[in-house]
Amino acid sequence: MSAAPALPRAWRDGQLAVLLLLPIALINAIGFILPVLNLARYSFNRSRIGGGIEQVFTWENWAGLLSDPFYLELVLNSVWISLAITLTTLVVSYPIALYLHRASGSWRTFLTVLVISPLLTSAVVRTYGWIAILTDDGPVVSAIKALGLPAPSLMFNIKGVFIGLTEILMPYMILALMAGFGRLDPRVEEAARTLGATPARTFRKVILPLTLPGIALGCLLCFVLAVSSFITPKLMGGGRVFLLATEIYDQAIVTLNWPLASTLSILVLIVFGAALWAYSAVLRRLD
Amino acid sequence: MTAMKNATRAGLAALAMALATSVAMADTVVLTAYSGIFQENYVKAVVEPFMKANPDITVEFYGMPNSAQMLGTLRAQASAPQIDIAIMDVSVAKAATDEGIFAPMDETVTKHLADLYPQARYEGVNAAGVTFDNLVLLYNTDKVQQAPTSWNALWDAQYAKQVSIPAVPDIQGTTLTIITDKMAGGTNYIESVEAGLKRLEELAPLVQTWEPRPDVYQPISSGTAAIGIGWNARAQVYADLSDGKLGVVLPEEGSGFQINVIGLVKGGPASESARKFIDYALSPEAQAAFTEQMFYAPTNAKAAALISEKALQRTAAGAMDRMIDINWLEVAKVRDAITEQWRRRVIPLSR
Repeated sequence: MSAAPALPRAWRDGQLAVLLLLPIALINAIGFILPVLNLARYSFNRSRIGGGIEQVFTWENWAGLLSDPFYLELVLNSVWISLAITLTTLVVSYPIALYLHRASGSWRTFLTVLVISPLLTSAVVRTYGWIAILTDDGPVVSAIKALGLPAPSLMFNIKGVFIGLTEILMPYMILALMAGFGRLDPRVEEAARTLGATPARTFRKVILPLTLPGIALGCLLCFVLAVSSFITPKLMGGGRVFLLATEIYDQAIVTLNWPLASTLSILVLIVFGAALWAYSAVLRRLD
Repeated sequence: MTAMKNATRAGLAALAMALATSVAMADTVVLTAYSGIFQENYVKAVVEPFMKANPDITVEFYGMPNSAQMLGTLRAQASAPQIDIAIMDVSVAKAATDEGIFAPMDETVTKHLADLYPQARYEGVNAAGVTFDNLVLLYNTDKVQQAPTSWNALWDAQYAKQVSIPAVPDIQGTTLTIITDKMAGGTNYIESVEAGLKRLEELAPLVQTWEPRPDVYQPISSGTAAIGIGWNARAQVYADLSDGKLGVVLPEEGSGFQINVIGLVKGGPASESARKFIDYALSPEAQAAFTEQMFYAPTNAKAAALISEKALQRTAAGAMDRMIDINWLEVAKVRDAITEQWRRRVIPLSR
């Protein structure tokens, strides 16, 4: 009889937690950690001409990567383009998220579905849609020309990638922002207004600080997605935009240089690590 | 009791025989090659006739988008192969050979080796050439009124920003580099393609995309681009499907071959039947049938006699003397250097 209550206490001591965490830990170990370690190992192999792999331990790939200005530029390009896209996505998504947060009832449900609906179509299809819209004979360029303005080329260059990725990332940003808007209570805004703050000041001093956790989350999510996205840059970049993700694809699939592709992949992980660190630093400051 | 025992014995024997036949019946050869229109046409022209002639063998076609993915899959299965045969680009087959993935390709596999063109055999590659393809000039017939005859049409300023070029590391870009180099006076593409690169620098500002998607044929058929380069076999098939919108030209300066080879996977599950299929795939009949179907030039010299003049005209078979002899195994050694030059010198000029 005395054994029966002992069991729940042992569970409370953490055995249950361990038991519950075990399946996901196992899946993660097999499905994520092992492959990443394998990837890390590959980055020290030597690539043979024509795609073969020599099982050795060499720092060649890393040394080559760090000493080659092309790859340094590639990393910097990927980071700044992704940051710029994240920022643009934030600016265009924020008002939508704020409006959705304030909306209520079936109107809110309807709008939320509208925001999420692009996620139901594959990014490939949406990217082809953008190609049709932004190409030199497309409606956007034609409209600009009709207004008598000099029409920029919007497709197969960095501008195309920028527009396409921003649209594709918007739903993620909006959802992340809404998830982080929990602390924003309409009564606080009302209080600020009652106490004489202008709408601009209310936004700056009340709304913005309260929504910072959402902003940080959305930015982290979009940055990571932007750095790792390769379909849209591949389709809309016209082969002119070299980014980490497209380069990994080329090295892995076209040139068959798996060691270099692995080295670049680990580099992307390091960039993600830095992004996570920045995110937690921001959160710590907010608390 | 004895009768009962005998009946049981007879029953078991019958069952064993039935099982044995069904095992023999179900000999399945797994062939991996390009998915999409290659698969569609290869199954029609080669795989189905083979299965008709060999009812005891089933050939399963496992399509993959490119040779690299095939190599990746073969690598992953190295200890327990599930694939018996691969058709892939010769330079990737070299890597596969180096890693011990392919069994030797000799007279025990196929008796047709002696009939293959010399370009179909590569020293150090355990696979034999099964298709020849070549780079061609593509154009949209609405946008380009007069059919071009020279690669120089790509540099024509009237098609500025309407040129579609699959850039290096894609080997269409590599082949264009070698052709351009020869046209610009280059004499040895292994030593230097400097002359070609200079000429490509002039082409760069005219290029619409270096990465045509889903492939180079669709944007030119639809008129998104006016002119470009691509592979002959696919271009011929898409030209037939394009309502006359896609034009295909083998320019007067000649071109270069892309070679797909067929290799037997070492330790594959259905080795004997796989040998039989490879032998068939390299036979004059199968080679001729695939040329009629998809306009790859045959690798078996005896096939030409079986191919209609009309189909032969649409391959490089009639222009063998104008073809640049590209040694892809040698090119593999300088491919990284060519890629580097493209990315640092050529592509930036198109931004």
